[in-house]
Amino acid sequence: MYKLVPSVCSYCGTGCGVLFEVLDGRILGTLPLKTHPVNEGKLCIKGWNLHEYVNSFMRLQAPRVRINGRLHQVTWDRAIQFAADRLKKVIAEHGPDSVGVLASAKITNEENYLLQKFARAAVGTNNVDHCARL
Amino acid sequence: MPDMKATVREWLDTGKVDLFLGYKQVEGHPLPYAFDRDNLEELQDLMESPARYPLEKLGAGILAVQPNLKIGILGRDCNRRALNVLAVHQQITPGQIEVLELKCCPSPLHKHADCSSLEPRTYGPVKLEVGIDNSMPTARMEQFDQRTRFDKWLYEFQKCLKCYGCRDICPVCFCKECSLEHADLVETGGVPPEVPLFHLIRAVHMAGRCIDCGLCEDACPVDIPLRLLYRKVNEIVKDLFGYETGLSLEQPPLSILGECAPGVTGSHGAAV
Repeated sequence: MYKLVPSVCSYCGTGCGVLFEVLDGRILGTLPLKTHPVNEGKLCIKGWNLHEYVNSFMRLQAPRVRINGRLHQVTWDRAIQFAADRLKKVIAEHGPDSVGVLASAKITNEENYLLQKFARAAVGTNNVDHCARL
Repeated sequence: MPDMKATVREWLDTGKVDLFLGYKQVEGHPLPYAFDRDNLEELQDLMESPARYPLEKLGAGILAVQPNLKIGILGRDCNRRALNVLAVHQQITPGQIEVLELKCCPSPLHKHADCSSLEPRTYGPVKLEVGIDNSMPTARMEQFDQRTRFDKWLYEFQKCLKCYGCRDICPVCFCKECSLEHADLVETGGVPPEVPLFHLIRAVHMAGRCIDCGLCEDACPVDIPLRLLYRKVNEIVKDLFGYETGLSLEQPPLSILGECAPGVTGSHGAAV
C-alpha cells in the first residue's frame, strides 16, 4: 500500500540516489537517498521534483508521428518504421554524414555503445556526440 | 532490539496502529519502511537507522490521502516535537501518529542517528575563516561584531542553489502556498535567490515552528548553517514570549492575531 522505492535521478548524468514515496501505486513525492554515495542525502531542485513529470498530464505516454503537420498517436512498430524510412531517405539523398547521433547520460553504458555502433556501422557516420556537452 | 519488534507487533495486533513507519535494509540502504498487518513476518527486519528521514512528514502525507488510518513511527525527541507542531497547526489530530521512541544521546553503549547536533562535522579552512562553522553555538556567533557577522552570513547565503531542499525535507513545512515561491516577495528566475531576503523569510517563518531536528542542514548541498540560524530565531521567541517550540500543544505567539501577544510587556507592546 505505502512504500518507499529507491531509484536514480533521471535528469542529468550525475546519478543521484532518490527515494520515491508511493501510495497505492501513485508517486506522492521524492526524497534524497541519505545513504547514497553520490549525493549523500542532497538533491538539486530538479531531483526534488522528479515525481512531477511522472504525474504530469502533459507527459507523452505513446509514440506520435507528425503527418501533414499534425501529430498522430501510432504504435511503436509504426513509429520505428517511420523513423527508419525517413533516415534511409535522408542518407540516400544527402549521404551518411548528413546524420548525427546524440548519445545520452541517462542511458546505460551498453546502450550508449549500441548507439555509436548504430551510427558508425548502420548509418555510416562518425557524427557522434553526447548530451552532457550540450 | 527484540523489545522494539515485539512492541510494534503488539501495536499492530491490537489495532493501536494500522501502519508502522520504521526502517529496513533495502538494496543495501537503510530505508523508511511501512509495516502493517499484512506483512507481520517482515517485522524481524525492523531496525534503527543511522540515516534520519522525516517519518512524521511521510505519515502526515499518508493521512492527507487516507485520514482514517492510525500510524505509528519510530522516532526520537525531535520527531515528537515535530508532531506537536503539526498538531498545533492542525495538520494532524493529536494521537493520530504514535511514536515509538528511541534514545538519541551519543554513547558507546547504544547507537544513535547521524545528527549534526551530536557529532558536528569538521569544515575546511576557507569556510571557517570567511564563513561560519555550522556547529558554532549562537553565543559564539554573537561575539563577532555586527559587520563581520553580516559578511559571514552573506558568504553563506550567496552559495544557495535555491533547491528548496530545506523546505522540502522540513517536517514542519506544509503550506500549500509557500512565501519562498511568491513572485511578489522573492524575485523569480535567478540563482542565488535574493540574498539575504530568501533565507530571512524562511527564518521568520521558522520562529515558533522549528523543532531543531537539523534535517534542513543535512539536506543543504552547500552547507549553509541553517540550524544555527533557526536556533537563533527560536531563542528570540523563547526570550520574548517564553515559548518553547514543540514541547506543548500551546499556540505559538506568532500565530496569535491582535495588537500584541499575551505575555509581552514594555517597549514591544502594552501589558495585556
